[in-house]
Amino acid sequence: MSDILLSVKNLVTSFSTDSGKVAAVKGISFDIKKGETLGIVGESGSGKSVTSLSIMQLLASNGFIESGKISFLGKHKNVENLVGLDNISLRELRGNHIGMVFQESMSALNPVMRCGEQVAEAIRLHLKEDRSTAKESVLKLFEKVELPDPERIYAAYPHELSGGQMQRVMIAMAISCNPELLIADEPTTALDVTVQKSILKLISDLQLQTNSAVLFITHDLGVVAEVADRVAVMYQGKIVEEGPVEKIFRSPQHHYTKSLLACRPPLNRKVKRLPTVSDFLKGKGNFVEKVWNSTSLKERRAVLSEREDLLKVKDLNVRFAGKKNWFGKPLSYIQAVKNVSFTLKKGETLGLVGESGSGKTTLSRAILRLAPIRSGKVIFEGENILEFGTEQLRKWRKGFQIIFQDPASALNPRMTIGRAILEPMTVHGIYNSSEERVKQVFLLLEKVGLKREHFDRYPHEFSGGQKQRICIARALALKPKFIICDESVSALDVSVQAQVLNLLLDLQEEFELTYIFISHDLSVVQMMSDRILVMNNGEIVEQGYPEDVYNNPKEKYTQQLINAIPRGIV
Amino acid sequence: MQHYIFRKLSYGLLVLLMVILLVSSIIYLAPVDPARLTFGQRADVETVKAKKEALGLDEPLYYQLGYYLRDISPINFIRTNHPAIHQYNYFKIFSVSERMFIMKKPYLRDSFQQGRPVSTMLAEAIPRTLILALIAIVIALIVGIVFGIIAALNKDTWLDQTIISISILGISLPSYVTAIIFALIFGYWLQAWTGLEMQGGLVGLDDFGDEKIFWKNLILPGLALGVRPIAIITQLTRSASLDVLDQDYIRTASAKGLSFVKVIRKHLLRNALNPVFTAASGWFASLLAGAFFVENVFGYNGLGLLTVQALLSYDIPVILGAVLFTAGSFVVLNILVDLMYGLIDPRIAKQ
Repeated sequence: MSDILLSVKNLVTSFSTDSGKVAAVKGISFDIKKGETLGIVGESGSGKSVTSLSIMQLLASNGFIESGKISFLGKHKNVENLVGLDNISLRELRGNHIGMVFQESMSALNPVMRCGEQVAEAIRLHLKEDRSTAKESVLKLFEKVELPDPERIYAAYPHELSGGQMQRVMIAMAISCNPELLIADEPTTALDVTVQKSILKLISDLQLQTNSAVLFITHDLGVVAEVADRVAVMYQGKIVEEGPVEKIFRSPQHHYTKSLLACRPPLNRKVKRLPTVSDFLKGKGNFVEKVWNSTSLKERRAVLSEREDLLKVKDLNVRFAGKKNWFGKPLSYIQAVKNVSFTLKKGETLGLVGESGSGKTTLSRAILRLAPIRSGKVIFEGENILEFGTEQLRKWRKGFQIIFQDPASALNPRMTIGRAILEPMTVHGIYNSSEERVKQVFLLLEKVGLKREHFDRYPHEFSGGQKQRICIARALALKPKFIICDESVSALDVSVQAQVLNLLLDLQEEFELTYIFISHDLSVVQMMSDRILVMNNGEIVEQGYPEDVYNNPKEKYTQQLINAIPRGIV
Repeated sequence: MQHYIFRKLSYGLLVLLMVILLVSSIIYLAPVDPARLTFGQRADVETVKAKKEALGLDEPLYYQLGYYLRDISPINFIRTNHPAIHQYNYFKIFSVSERMFIMKKPYLRDSFQQGRPVSTMLAEAIPRTLILALIAIVIALIVGIVFGIIAALNKDTWLDQTIISISILGISLPSYVTAIIFALIFGYWLQAWTGLEMQGGLVGLDDFGDEKIFWKNLILPGLALGVRPIAIITQLTRSASLDVLDQDYIRTASAKGLSFVKVIRKHLLRNALNPVFTAASGWFASLLAGAFFVENVFGYNGLGLLTVQALLSYDIPVILGAVLFTAGSFVVLNILVDLMYGLIDPRIAKQ
C-alpha cells in the first residue's frame, strides 16, 4: 500500500442544472502509484475532465462531489480525504503537491500578465522565495522545459508565444514546486503533431527526472499509448476497463474499448469505411473491415484518370500585406502560397496536410477567390475564375461550399437548423416554391442522419457531431460540385469523427462530389484522399498517392510529420 | 503609433472646425441681436448701431466666421499694421515686406456682456468643473467597481438583483432630475443635519467679503453628477467580471493554490477592469459636458453655469469658447483612451 500516491474510491460528481441533477462521474475508483503514469481515455462528456477537476476540487460553481473518497499519500503531505477539506489545506495542496496542466494554454494563461510572473507566482506562494530568487528559479525551469531564450519568455505575454511554447510555460508552472502528482488534462490537443510529439517527450522526460506520478487525460488513444503505463477507459461517467497499456491495446475486453480502437483510421492500410461505436455497442462486435487493396485502388485510379479535370490550379501565388507605411501602402508582404500547381479530377478527393501556418487554408480560400491572389491561374471546368466579374463570381460560388472546423460557431444560434439549411436555397433562388425547398431540407436532414422533426430545433440542442452534420446538410443544399473540408473533423471525438467521415464518403459516392480535404491529422487524410499534397511554408513539398507518401516519404519534412504521428501500439 | 496619433489629431481638428461652423451658424441665424442685449431696457438706435459695428456684427456672416478663425488660429500670416494685431499675444517668426508670420495664443475675444477676455473667464471656470467631474468619476469608479464585483460574485442572489435594479434606476434618471432630488433631500429637508447648501459655487465670498473656497459645495453636485456613471460602471464591471470568472486562466490561478482574494485581485481585476477604465475615461469627457445641468441646478460657478448664462444673454464669444473647449476635450480624451487601451492590454498594443 505504501507506494500508492493517490487513491480515488467511489467518486460521484454531479452538476445541478435547470433540468435537475446530472451525474457526470458515476462512482469510479482508481489508484495511482508513485512515479507511475495513468492515462484516462474517453470521449467528451465521458467525465474524464470532471474527474481531474474533482481531485483538484476546482469544479464549476454548480458542480459538487456527491460521495466518495480521494486520498493523497505524498512524501511530504498526507491527506486522508480531499473531499470536504478546508480551503486553506486545499490551497496548500494545489500547485504545491499537485500540479495541473490544462488544455488550450492560450486561454489557460492570463493574457495581461507576463509569462514569467505567472510561473513565479506559484513559487513565491509555496516555496516562500522572494522576487529575485523566484525569477532565478523560473529561468531555470524554463531551461528545463526547453524554452529558447528564457529571459525573453519571462518578459513575454502569452499572445507573443507559439502554442507549443505556451504549453511549455504551462508545464513549467505545473512542475514549479516539484509536485508529486502532475495532472495533465488534454495537454496536446489543438497542437500540431510535431509539437505534440515534443511536448509528450518533455512530459515523460520530466517524469523520469523528478519521479513524479502523472495523471494523463486525453481522448486520443494514440497519445495515451505513448505516455501511459496504465490506462483507464471512461464511458458515460464510469470506468469500463482498466489495465496495463499493452493489455488494453492488444486484447481489449469491453466493446467500447474495442470500438474506440477500431474507429481510428489506421495508418498501415486504407479502409473504405470506419466502424462506429454504435456498431460495437449494438453487439455487432465483429465489424467486417473493407479495405482498399492494390487492385481496387488501381481500378479507382484508372476511372478517375479518365474523368475530365474539374479544377486546375497553375502557379498560384498569394500574399498578404505585412508592414504598411503612412498612406496605408504595404512595405512588405507575407507570401502565404508560393507557386502552387495541381489538378483535381471530378469526384476525386485531394488531401492537404501540413502544420498550422503552412498555407493550407489560404490555398483553399484562394481557390474561391477569398484571399488576395498575386498571380497564377485557377481554371474551373475550362474557365479561369480569376477573370470573373462580381456577379459571375457570385453565381459560380454557389457550386462551392466550405465545411469548417468548429460547427458550433458556424451555425447561427438564433436560427432553427431548418431555416439555416433553407437560407442558401432561398438566397440563390433554387427550386420553384418554398414548399419544394422545405421538402428538400427534409430530404437533406435524412441524408445526413437526422430527422424531419429536427427542422424547428436550435443548434444548442444538438451535439458536436450532429452540428457538423447540419453544416454538411447546409453545404449540400446548393447541390455543390466541390466541397472544401477545412479541418472539418478535427474538433470531433474519434467515434463521432468516424461517423462524419463515413457520411462524407457516402455523399461523395452519391453526388459525385469533389473534395479538398484539409487536416493536420495524417491518418484521417490518408483514409479520405485519393491523392495527397504536403505543404510547408506555402509551398507544396511533396505530392502523390497516400500509400507512397506514407511509406516512402521523399522529403525530410514529410518524414518528420509522419514520425510525429502518435502510433500507439499496433 | 505616431501616424496614428497624427491622423487622430487631424480628424480632431476637422471636428473642431465643424463645431465652430455649426454653432456659429445657429447663433448668428437666430433672430436675436446680441448688441441690443448688451444694453438695458433703454437704448437708442444709434448706440446699438455703434455697438454692433464695434463688435463686428454688421459684417457678412462669412466675414465674421473668417475673422473668428483667424483669431483662434495659433499661426497667422498677417499685415504688420493690422488693427487686430494688438489684441494678440504673439511671437514673430519672420516677416516678408509688409506682412509677418506669427505664432500666438488662440484669441477667444472678449465677452459681450462683461467685456473681460473669454480666455480669462474660461480659465476661472474650467478648473472648478474639472474638479467636479474628477470627484464624480472617482466616486463612480470606487462605488461602481465595488458594487459590480459584489454583484458578479453573488450572481443571481438577492444581492445581485438589488444592485442591478438600483443601477437600472440610476441609468434611467437624467442628471438634472437627480440633481434636483439631491438638492431637495440633502440641501433642504436634511439641511440641518448635513449642513450642505442647496446652492453654492466652489469659490464664493465669505462673511467678510473675501474670496474663499467652499469645498463642501462639491459634495452634492459631485454625487448628483456621479449617479449615472456609478450605475453604468457597476453594470460594466459586473458583466466583465462574469466574463472573466468563466475564463480558463482563473481556474489556472486557483490550481496554483492562490487564495480567493488573490485570484480576484491579481487575475480577475486587471482583466475585468480594462473595459471599465476605458469607458470611465470616455465618461469623464461627457461629465464635463453633463455638468451643464448639474451646475445650473446647484448654482455651482463652473463652465456649465458660465455657458448657460452666456446662452441666455447671447454672449457669442463665451458660447463659442466654451463649446470649443468641450469639443476639444472630447477629442483629446478619446485619443488618450485609445493609448490607454494599449497600456492596459498588451494584446492590443501589438496591433
